[in-house]
Amino acid sequence: MEITTLQRGSITVIAIAGSIDGMTATTLVTSFREQVAGGNVRIVSDFAAVEYTSSAGLRALLETVKETRQQGGDLRLAAVQPDVLRVLELSGFTHILKLFPDVEAAVASFPA
Amino acid sequence: MKREIGLDARPENLKVIRDFIEDACREAGVPASEAKDIKLAVDEACCNVVEHGYAGSPGPGPVGVAFEADGKTIAVTVSDRGRSFDPSQAPGPDVGAGWRDRRIGGLGWHLIRQLVDDVRYESGAAGNRLTLVKRRPPVPEKTERG
Repeated sequence: MEITTLQRGSITVIAIAGSIDGMTATTLVTSFREQVAGGNVRIVSDFAAVEYTSSAGLRALLETVKETRQQGGDLRLAAVQPDVLRVLELSGFTHILKLFPDVEAAVASFPA
Repeated sequence: MKREIGLDARPENLKVIRDFIEDACREAGVPASEAKDIKLAVDEACCNVVEHGYAGSPGPGPVGVAFEADGKTIAVTVSDRGRSFDPSQAPGPDVGAGWRDRRIGGLGWHLIRQLVDDVRYESGAAGNRLTLVKRRPPVPEKTERG
C-alpha cells in the first residue's frame, strides 16, 4: 500500500493505492493521525486505486471521521471502487461517510 | 479438492493467506464474486488470530488455513493454538448507528457473518478451529419446458 498526500487549498487529499489489511492499516492510521494532529481536519481520501479493504481499513476510516468531525472538519471519500464499496455497504459505512465520484467533487463539497 | 498452508501468525502473512485463498478458489472454479467474499472472511478470521490469538505470548504462534471444496460447499478452516474466542459471543456492531455512536471494533465478525453461510467454532486441547462454510449455488441444469 502506498500513501500520497497533497494540499488543495484548505483540503488535504490523501491518495491510497493498493490493499488495506491488518498489516497496512497501521500505516494508514498513522498518516490520518498526523494530518489531524497538524490541524488538517478537512480531508479527502482518494480511493481510486484501493483494490481491497478489510475491517482494519474501516476502523481507520471510522476513527478519522470521528476525530475530524469533532473538530469541525470531515473525512470524505472519492472514487471508491465496487469491491471496497461492497465492504462499506455491508458494514453500514455508506450511511456514515460521504462518498463522491472523484477527488474534484469531494474537494468542492467542502464549504469555502 | 483440498489445499493447506501453515504460517506464523504475523501481520505480513495476511497477504500470503489471501493469495493462497485466491489461488485455491481459482483452482476449484469458484466464481470471482464468491472468491472475494471467502477471501475477506478468511482475512478477517486470520487477522483476529494475528491481533488477539497470541496476545501476551512471547512471539507469534502458528496459524493454519485449510481450504476444501466439493460440488456443494467451500469450507475454510482456520486453526491456531492461541487464546480461544467463540465468535458467537462477539457483540455485533450497530450498523444503523450514526458516526458518534458507532463503536470502533466488532466489524470483523460482523463481516464474516455477512460473507459466509455458516460459522463453526471448536476449541480444545488441540487448539482452536474456526470453519467458514459457503454454499455453492447449484449448477444450472438445462430447463425443459413442458
